[in-house]
Amino acid sequence: MSRLELYSPEGLRVDGRRWNELRRFECQINTHPNAADGSSYVQQGNSKVLCLVKGPMEHGANLAAGTKLDPNGPVLSLNINYPPFASNERKKRPKNDRRLQEISIILKRCFMKTIVLKNYSRTAIDINLTVLAMDGGLLACFCNAITLALIDAGISLYDYVSAVSVGLYDQTPLLDMNALEENDLSFVTIGVVGDSDKLNLTLCEDKLPLDKLERLISLGIEGCHRLKELMDLQVRVAGGQLQERQ
Amino acid sequence: MIISISVPSKPEASDTKAGSSVVTPGELITDDPTWMRGHGTYFLNDKTYSSVAGTVLKVNKLLSVVPFKGRYSPETGDHLVGRIIDVGQKRWKVDIGGEHDAVLMLGSVNLPGGILRRKSESDELQMRNFLKEGDLLNAEVQSLFSDGSASLHTRSLKYGKLRNGVFVAVPSKLIVRAKNHSHDLPGNVSIILGVNGYCWIYKTPLSSAADHSASTAKTNAELSSAASGNYQPGQGSVSITRLEQESSWDIYSDKNDALSASIKDTISRYKNCLLSLSQCNIGINEIRLVRAYEISLGYGDTNLLFREEVRQSIGEDVIAQEKMRGAG
Repeated sequence: MSRLELYSPEGLRVDGRRWNELRRFECQINTHPNAADGSSYVQQGNSKVLCLVKGPMEHGANLAAGTKLDPNGPVLSLNINYPPFASNERKKRPKNDRRLQEISIILKRCFMKTIVLKNYSRTAIDINLTVLAMDGGLLACFCNAITLALIDAGISLYDYVSAVSVGLYDQTPLLDMNALEENDLSFVTIGVVGDSDKLNLTLCEDKLPLDKLERLISLGIEGCHRLKELMDLQVRVAGGQLQERQ
Repeated sequence: MIISISVPSKPEASDTKAGSSVVTPGELITDDPTWMRGHGTYFLNDKTYSSVAGTVLKVNKLLSVVPFKGRYSPETGDHLVGRIIDVGQKRWKVDIGGEHDAVLMLGSVNLPGGILRRKSESDELQMRNFLKEGDLLNAEVQSLFSDGSASLHTRSLKYGKLRNGVFVAVPSKLIVRAKNHSHDLPGNVSIILGVNGYCWIYKTPLSSAADHSASTAKTNAELSSAASGNYQPGQGSVSITRLEQESSWDIYSDKNDALSASIKDTISRYKNCLLSLSQCNIGINEIRLVRAYEISLGYGDTNLLFREEVRQSIGEDVIAQEKMRGAG
């Protein structure tokens, strides 16, 4: 344990939140209308992520040469750009960072279950993620940004996928962890389908006591529902702007 | 332990359903199983949900959701501008900005030597002499395949390779399907507004200018309709003998005509006007484009039109004018 007091006896966390409070969540869609089919910007606390989606199209730029397009569904390719300045300590990451590769596989699996596959046979969808600043909740930010960018690109989805990280401090679950908390506590990231209780994404990189897991997940689901509401609001605002004058 | 998260103020977003028919992915549209389900929806346990963010469209008993944004999806008869990306066996692959590339069969183009000519193996071998990678052409959608990709044809003198101009891409949503997609604009410039959002602005060809002078012999009524740009049956069509004459090797030539500086200036001005309308998200048609052009003349130097705020103000002026004239 570090010398930091992560959760004070009065029930306040390092950044002044209570155990069940989300960080400030802001998002925008259609941020780069000329550069990509769909684009989004997500800000969770001090974490900032940009996502660009190109496609569906027949010739993917990220596709390795000779890759066959699938007649049953789209070929997703995910590219994560995590520049040295984005995290707390300036550090250059190798091009094939193990952790980022794993994250991209998890996200790919998650969204292959979310996209209505039958509509996109023999196509490629390129997803480009750029981290502008990272203060915890890497996978959650990615997931929310991709959901919004796919919706902006007009790609058919069964539902929203909203994600959040939940950690455990002693007996108390903590919602939406920042980088300081993530360093010291074990946490799990979950992604929820729309307003349901179904999980489309789970990742736990630490050890967690099994009997506490249920409580963590139910707190996470509550948080995801709130995030979904905020994202939905933004999609409607952006849609209204697009419709205005035609 | 009670699990709940603190919510400062709940925005009343869900109440909008009654007022407008905007839906987002996963939203329940109806639980009435008698509706037929169209694009942008899916069906689960007798309930119809939306799969895209857009507006609900009901046609008779068909329920579909039109997305706010999305790639162009071709329909038979659409007038398109496309770019050749691949030359294959008896066919060209054409990028039309859709989900799939379109195909243009060797059998559905006009080859030099008239329409009644048979296609031989030697034609197959010299396909790259007609159209090669990177060439732009305008064409019409002939038919659609089951996966939604299109087959094109250029079997008319209206269609074929594009020269003497500049290519502009705008969102396909902004271009509404109309009877006629090629227009002659003031300033001796013509435009093709492809339904797929790809546009081509070029110098009005001499032959069509000659047609205009020849039409002086026609009746006054015909003349006025031609001047106002209304389409008349038979207008612009040619006799069989003309067709023979025009479908020579010239139609596949790569050589641009000599363009004067003033024509180039006008073309680039139109290009910027088109981009202004696109930036302001205004539906594009001939009338609006000409109005934007007239407004842009007030700015003098063409270079000014590159600036974002100038483009924004041109777009707003077009809308303001339209309101003043009563929806033009």
